[in-house]
Amino acid sequence: MSLSDLLHLALGRLGTGKLRTALTALGVIIGVASVVALVSVAQGATKGISDRLQSLGTNLVTVNPGFTRGTGATRGSFGSATTLTIDDASAISGLAGVQYVAPELTTNKLVIAGSLNETARIVGTSPAYLSVFAYDMWTGSFINQASLDHNMRVAVIGATTADNLSLTDTSIGSTIYIAGLPFELVGILQSKGGTGTADDQVIVPLTTARELFVGTSSVSAIGLSATSEDQITTVSGEITALLEQRHGIASGATDDFSIVTQAQLLGTVSSVSDVLTFLLAGIASISLLVGGIGIMNIMLVSVRERTREIGIRKAIGARGRDILSQFLVEALALSLAGGVIGIGIGVLASFAIGVYAGWGFVFSPITVVVALGFSLIVGIVFGVWPASQAARLDPVVALRYE
Amino acid sequence: MIGRAVEPIIELEDVSRIYDLGKVQVPALVDVNMHVAKGEFMAIIGPSGSGKSTMMNILGCLDRPTSGRYVLDGQPVADLDDDGLAFVRSRSIGFVFQSYNLLPRTSALENVAAPLMYQGVPRRERLMRAQAALERLGLGDRLSHVPSELSGGQQQRVGIARALVTEPALILADEPTGNLDSHSGAEVLSIFKDLHSLGRTIVLITHDIEVATAADRGVHIRDGQLQEAVLG
Repeated sequence: MSLSDLLHLALGRLGTGKLRTALTALGVIIGVASVVALVSVAQGATKGISDRLQSLGTNLVTVNPGFTRGTGATRGSFGSATTLTIDDASAISGLAGVQYVAPELTTNKLVIAGSLNETARIVGTSPAYLSVFAYDMWTGSFINQASLDHNMRVAVIGATTADNLSLTDTSIGSTIYIAGLPFELVGILQSKGGTGTADDQVIVPLTTARELFVGTSSVSAIGLSATSEDQITTVSGEITALLEQRHGIASGATDDFSIVTQAQLLGTVSSVSDVLTFLLAGIASISLLVGGIGIMNIMLVSVRERTREIGIRKAIGARGRDILSQFLVEALALSLAGGVIGIGIGVLASFAIGVYAGWGFVFSPITVVVALGFSLIVGIVFGVWPASQAARLDPVVALRYE
Repeated sequence: MIGRAVEPIIELEDVSRIYDLGKVQVPALVDVNMHVAKGEFMAIIGPSGSGKSTMMNILGCLDRPTSGRYVLDGQPVADLDDDGLAFVRSRSIGFVFQSYNLLPRTSALENVAAPLMYQGVPRRERLMRAQAALERLGLGDRLSHVPSELSGGQQQRVGIARALVTEPALILADEPTGNLDSHSGAEVLSIFKDLHSLGRTIVLITHDIEVATAADRGVHIRDGQLQEAVLG
């Protein structure tokens, strides 16, 4: 029998029981679609987080006060420890491999513009902030060295803050009130997008923030950028040594600061996302397995139902292997059709989810190939047993079967 | 020894078939000797339980004798494996069954073409040959009908076309008129007579002595043993 004969038989058979074919294939469709969609979701989420991390700044290194701790959830303790100072920041800027240094003094204050107000994060910092954290100006200008030197009451606001307070490019030069004190609005930042707080802040000169809002020489954090990516590790080491020396901490003892690099964050994200991907793919594989068992079930029923047909085929000259290939190709056609439809649905679903979640469409050809391969394997594994049952039938018995 | 022929199609020598049911051994055929010559139309007549079905299975290479020698069209087939038997069925035997045994939901044309598929004949050629066979049996206007759309007589004619399409050495008909009314039955028997007059070798298995008279020679089978019959 030629392959085209086998395909002809299989498609003819599947075409005569369309509802049964569709329901049987549905198991594989759901399995493959969920593998494709869930893997894509995991990869999309990872990409979304990585993109956001990268948009925080290029070659970013952040020095936080206090004891070593995780990132993210513990942000509330920023500024509560007072071990980092402006002098530390100045010292760091003298290190080789450091490009820009932006000390940050963070606090929350009520901001009023016209009739609108909100409580915003106030960041006192230096002009280098723009470069370190990779912001762009949307309109106006950023705080400059002169405003830093002279404790000037000037403010640059994030895109979200501007929206909330209905401030636009025509508002440059107008007065806003931070904690009741008048500031001149000199610029609005370009939005970074995403769902974080990077766009909801008010930036003022560090000196002004210290004088008006905080009144200490400590800083909440020191952000800096290394001259290049491969410098990050060296720079981290230098900063550790420098600060240990400045703070009188013996090498190896517990530091009163912690250093977080972008590479560490990305590494954490990718290891978490690997786990996530495997987990989701694993869950989806279970439904693929169930779909395969569905195929085996229906093929076994089919062999039983078609016992007489098998007997007839053997009587007119079919060998065991002809019957085996006929049933195997049927199972394969079912699982492959299910696989192709499942990939289509999975790709559509991941597109929809990606657009909705905002990380865009992440298409992974490898996932598609793997999913297709799996559906073929499902067809073979779960089709071969029923097919060999069919092939082994005794023609005498099969012909007499009612 | 029944029937000696110069050019035999079937030679059975001391063929026995004993069913092993574990505790009991049931002999269905006992030391059967039979020759069928090329071009003969022979009837095997017997009631149910006589070993008739076993005879049909052995002659049709669907089953193997427990002992003895069976030469079909010059080839010893008693000891062939499953694939070997399938090959012999494919090349040398055309079956006509009592219940037609057409493939369901499959057109008359595809049914008749099916044996050629297992011979590896290309699709275009086998459809042409199947069509020619159906036309010879007066079913040229029923090519695309599926079995459920055909009368019993028409289905049996499709069955005969399927048996003929491979030009087999032996046509083996098992109660071919058993499910038909007398008119269709007579029609089918006259087709066999025509085939016989064209030189085909036919073995007809039946319980009905009336039907057997269509053949030119007959044997009775009783308790697994053969006995020359007087026909007509």
